[in-house]
Amino acid sequence: MAILEVTDLRKVYGGFTAVEGSSFEIERGEVFGVVGPNGAGKTTTLKMLAGLIEPTAGTAVVAGHTPGDAEMQRQLGFLPEESPLYEEMTATGYLEFFADLYDVPGDVARERIHDSLDRLDLEHRDRRIGNMSKGMQRKVAIARALVNDPDVLIFDEPASGLDPLTTNYIIEFTRELSDEGKTIVFSAHNLFHVESICDRIVIMNDGRIVARGTLEEIRAAHGGTEYHVYATADGSDGLPDGRDPIEVTRENGQVSHLVADMSAVEAVQDAVEADGGRVTDIQTQTPSLEEIFLDVASEPTAEGES
Amino acid sequence: MSDGRLRALAERSGRTCRRLREAIARTGRIARWEVRRSAGTVDRKTVIALVVMLLAVGTAGFSATDDGLGLEREIYVVGVDEGSRYYDVAADSEQFRPVPLADVIAEHDGATNGDDIVVRGDATVDVVVTRDGRIGHVGENGAAAYDEFRTAIETYNANLMADEEDHAAAYPVHVTLEYRDRDRPRSPASGADDGDESGEGTGAVDGSSETGDGESAADDTGGDEPLQVPAIGGGGSASSTGTPGSIAPPFPFTSLVLAFLFVVPMNFVIQAYGSTIMDERVKRRGELLLVSPASRSEIVAGKTLPYLLGLAGVVVAIALAIDGGPVAVAAALPIALLFLAAAFVGAMFARSFKELTFVTVTISVVLTTYTFVPAIFTDVTSIALISPLTLVVMDLQNESVRLGEYLFSTGPFYLSAAVCFLLGIGVYREEDMFAQKPIPAKILDAIANRVRGPWSIPLLSILFLPFVFASQLLSVALLFAVPQSVAIPVVVLVAASVEEIAKSIHVYAGVTRSRFDATLRTAVVVGALSGSGFFVGEKLTHVVQFVGLPDLAVGTAAFGPAVSSEPLILGAVFLAPLALHVGTAVCSAVGASRGRAGYALGLLTAVLVHVAYNLGVFVLVA
Repeated sequence: MAILEVTDLRKVYGGFTAVEGSSFEIERGEVFGVVGPNGAGKTTTLKMLAGLIEPTAGTAVVAGHTPGDAEMQRQLGFLPEESPLYEEMTATGYLEFFADLYDVPGDVARERIHDSLDRLDLEHRDRRIGNMSKGMQRKVAIARALVNDPDVLIFDEPASGLDPLTTNYIIEFTRELSDEGKTIVFSAHNLFHVESICDRIVIMNDGRIVARGTLEEIRAAHGGTEYHVYATADGSDGLPDGRDPIEVTRENGQVSHLVADMSAVEAVQDAVEADGGRVTDIQTQTPSLEEIFLDVASEPTAEGES
Repeated sequence: MSDGRLRALAERSGRTCRRLREAIARTGRIARWEVRRSAGTVDRKTVIALVVMLLAVGTAGFSATDDGLGLEREIYVVGVDEGSRYYDVAADSEQFRPVPLADVIAEHDGATNGDDIVVRGDATVDVVVTRDGRIGHVGENGAAAYDEFRTAIETYNANLMADEEDHAAAYPVHVTLEYRDRDRPRSPASGADDGDESGEGTGAVDGSSETGDGESAADDTGGDEPLQVPAIGGGGSASSTGTPGSIAPPFPFTSLVLAFLFVVPMNFVIQAYGSTIMDERVKRRGELLLVSPASRSEIVAGKTLPYLLGLAGVVVAIALAIDGGPVAVAAALPIALLFLAAAFVGAMFARSFKELTFVTVTISVVLTTYTFVPAIFTDVTSIALISPLTLVVMDLQNESVRLGEYLFSTGPFYLSAAVCFLLGIGVYREEDMFAQKPIPAKILDAIANRVRGPWSIPLLSILFLPFVFASQLLSVALLFAVPQSVAIPVVVLVAASVEEIAKSIHVYAGVTRSRFDATLRTAVVVGALSGSGFFVGEKLTHVVQFVGLPDLAVGTAAFGPAVSSEPLILGAVFLAPLALHVGTAVCSAVGASRGRAGYALGLLTAVLVHVAYNLGVFVLVA
């Protein structure tokens, strides 16, 4: 069952279209990745879902409510790309303030805050936020997003600008939250993180969604798995029509045939054997999300894809 | 009504009450946390500065009222014998402490030799009164003490005269002081043809026949209508009677200084308040509050409440300290509210703390001028009533303030504050509050955010009326003392310009921010709606009739002449402004639909037409 539904979401600033007709659904408990180059419309999309920005057109429904609705805001935890905290407050004071704002009873709030900060391994909780390191401030910001125990979390670049250790900690924590059943909308420039924790992904470019699905589906649609067929003879000449290898390279008496699918592998095998050679090895090559992303982002956006 | 409907109505009411309760609770929470958060930002230096400021304000207040602390009690010593006629002067005055002459004079018998008074080396004395009645002074403070002693003698004598049972013997001369309206032709019988620019007329009459009852001028012309406001002081026919010594110039210095004390802390508080709002915008710190269940209005209310309550507390404290009554508090509060509202909208428009400083200083100067300058004329003219501070002065002078006067003085402040908050809250959202745009563009954004369909246009025209009214009143007050040949054309031009801007700025904002199509048809429709709305709202401002401002020439220039009682003329005068407002608003709107240059041209044309219309009406009515 979809906890978050987006239909033809559009945002126009003056004459500039930031988001053009995005539509997608997110299932309860899913980790949904939103990736794209700078200016692709990711943050604008996330802010529209959080109720921070009013869409020019289209609708979004989060947990049965319209973004901006007070009831919806209670069920949402939003972590923006920056950590805009009140630096003159202590971490616990800051979190208690937001808990109060979300009508969380005092004892529940204190327990929840304590638990979150324990899990995030944040020490010096009574230190002023302005005197904390960037990583510590980010942990406070994450704890703030959890203070109302939301069903839906929107994390925009949660580990941006942090050291690898803290980044890893935060990614692991996000995974834990997912395991607890939270629905997470996750945006990051580090595609390895997206690839490692997201169930489904959309890739945005120029305000449009240019690819969507599970990683496998995206691979299939945008390049998919490729195969290297190593042989002692060149089989490319004897291939039937439409089975041309993507690439043929020769090195140290070995011929490498790069082909797109298993039927092409079999065709190459037949052709090599017909030529008196033999296949010595077959290796699969899976493109990373980053390779697909670079490929997709460099393509001109197709009209109608949304 | 059926049971079902009643139940539905009850449910709806219950929901509304619950929402209201929740909104108040959230506002309270934000306010509480704002206080706690802000407390962490105030360093020791700021606290010291605050204490110094409070001490300065308190000292000024006490000095002005000349009581309370008693700082000047017995600060001078007078060497005077008990048998001297000056002994009682020294004894009665709080500033002087009498000591026996023998304790301070060096000569063996305490007498003086020739013109010199020889004071003993170890004596601490400032003024010496010899046995033959001569007065001298000694030491560094002697000269000042001597002056004060002279004043004390005059006061002592005046008190003796006041206690005299035979009043006519004590005050053989009575003076009637009559203020004449400088804009009205003088009556030959007034006896005030002294050619004085101030229009004052004086005449000595026999004391026995002109003993006034001491009733204030304000009371003389009050009237019984609930909204009628008396012409204060010199509203045309006021006069006061008394002895030459009892008649003071129409400048309520002490009350004015005390009234000004209310405004001083407001100037400081808006700096802190503006910084708080700016803080939310810097580094996007306010973004997370916007994703909370609290609405924009609740956030702004919560952040404003501590400062408003703080100012209210300060106002009450000052009122208590200077013997001001509830009227003084009720008059000072709308000033505080407008200070905060202007600071809020200024902080929402400023791009940086540097720009915010410029904005808050401008707010301080404009509002302080607006409130203080008219109050100077409290005892002179009804123009003074444009400032709520005048009500404070009146209260401190123990003059009664009528409901009409209160509404007239404070209405524009309450309404302007409401509109400022409305505009500011309109841009208190992610898309606007973190955007780095020039202030004029932000103002247009704020206005455009309130443009929601054609019917919002006449509503905005009405909402801008407090600003129009305040601008016109300010121009009248500032040009009051300027020769009419200069003042009237300037006021006519200012009044027309302000009105035309108020009728068109939201139309221009709507067009530039794509709220409307920039077509001729749309421009005509929204222009007509704007003009009509303004016409309706303008009728509300006819409250000025109640205070007699249109009786002044500059008042007429700003608000138009009084309406004739002839039905036909009445109808024409009623409908002509509608045609004017609609026509000029359409002109500006058509210009606005053609871009910035087009708007400037359209606005200029509208202003010129408006000025021509006003001048035409003057000529016609005259």
